[in-house]
Amino acid sequence: MKYAIEVNNLRKEFGLKRVVKDISFCVEEKTLFSLLGVNGAGKTTTIRMLTGLSRPTKGDATILGYNITTDLDAVKKVSNLSPQDTAIAPNLTVRENLEFMAGIYNMDKEKIKKRTNEMIQLFSLQEVEKSKAKTLSGGWQRKLSIAMALITEPKILYLDEPTLGLDVLARKDLWRIIERLKKEVTIILTTHYMEEAQQLSDSIAVMVAGEIKALGTLEDLKQLTGKDNLEDAFIEIAEGGM
Amino acid sequence: MRSIVFSKRTVKEILRDPLSYIFCLGFPIVMLIIMTIVDQSIPKEAGMEIFHINKLAPGIALFGLSFIMLFTCLQVSKDRSTAFILRLYASPMKSGDFIAGYTLPVLLLTVLQAMITFLTSVVIGNFVDYQFELINILVCILVLIPSALVFISFGIFFGTLLNDKAAPGICSIIITASSMLGGIWMDVDTIGGAFARFCHVLPFYQGVRSARLALEGSFGEMAKPALITFVYGIVIYIFAVFVLKRKMQQDIK
Repeated sequence: MKYAIEVNNLRKEFGLKRVVKDISFCVEEKTLFSLLGVNGAGKTTTIRMLTGLSRPTKGDATILGYNITTDLDAVKKVSNLSPQDTAIAPNLTVRENLEFMAGIYNMDKEKIKKRTNEMIQLFSLQEVEKSKAKTLSGGWQRKLSIAMALITEPKILYLDEPTLGLDVLARKDLWRIIERLKKEVTIILTTHYMEEAQQLSDSIAVMVAGEIKALGTLEDLKQLTGKDNLEDAFIEIAEGGM
Repeated sequence: MRSIVFSKRTVKEILRDPLSYIFCLGFPIVMLIIMTIVDQSIPKEAGMEIFHINKLAPGIALFGLSFIMLFTCLQVSKDRSTAFILRLYASPMKSGDFIAGYTLPVLLLTVLQAMITFLTSVVIGNFVDYQFELINILVCILVLIPSALVFISFGIFFGTLLNDKAAPGICSIIITASSMLGGIWMDVDTIGGAFARFCHVLPFYQGVRSARLALEGSFGEMAKPALITFVYGIVIYIFAVFVLKRKMQQDIK
């Protein structure tokens, strides 16, 4: 079994506060791994450490064999993220945003054009490709934000609450895209929507107060808690019932 | 390569904000026209030369640069206040790419802005019987570059430390202070005393003086104030870059 991500006793402290407490987990290649937890559980901090946006206090992790502290440049080349808040250049058009991202990953002109067209196609952005990003609705902006992460051909894609604030149709639409991506990219997803995690995840970790309290497939978690759906299983774990 | 891609994006972000045109181009041109009308209304016996087009043009050119500071500041602070910066931090971009990506395009815009200001001044000069020398204009634009660096540095510095709500307020203070203390709207040497001495210490006065001397063709006399402004530009820029790099390091702690 080949792991795309291996996390070993990763810890993050802010002053005296320990927000991620020596967590360890592995993620298989080309699977979707969900990090679940209530607000402040440490999900985003974990992703920040894995993407080089925050330095671990202790422990380490490897991304496709590259260490997140000693090989950060290599880590950045093989991974990308769509942050929790929509991350776009507001005065650039949809196409320009995509071309910009491809450009800062040093793609040549031809490849930039090819990948931009592919992303516009994949995310059905044709009707808004010439619109300035700031004029788009939340759903379009979120799609663009994910497309900007994917255009760089990452092997690892971090989606931090990608469907937060979207209406039900936009959410379902994004799920369809994520389902398709799973076959080509290893995805780490954080979400508050249990239905989303249930539908998309190959494996799930539940974080509570900086610790991983449960780890496994959906069936593993249901079995562990004796519940018949993820929401009840999550509540059981998060409330410390096990 | 990355810095060029980032520079292009900075230019687009600034140029697509209609306020950039109003403040960076419209306002200086309007001030040139208004102050020329004022100048025409002042009796010759008053001996007031500060609003003559040959004195006014370099002053207004520098005044325009101070608005570039405002837009640099807003660009940096807006970038820093959104998740967009996280995306860039997670990319292979280095701090040098950010610094070059903010500085180079804005520096180019300041040169374009100065060219348009002087072009307008030449047109106005035709109406008030003043002929500009092309070589002097070119030297003047060159001499304004260190002043541009001073303002760009202030923009990067305040944009790094302030959010996009606080930044315009602080920039407005500097815009007003630089125009008053730089001697754009009043002759600080005529006022004299401690006030003039204080103004002489600042880069704004030296920047305006070197630009005016360049436009007169007094290149020898221009060297000293130009050198002082140049040193100010380099020192303030190094400081601003240091602050930006430090803040970026703090962001990913």
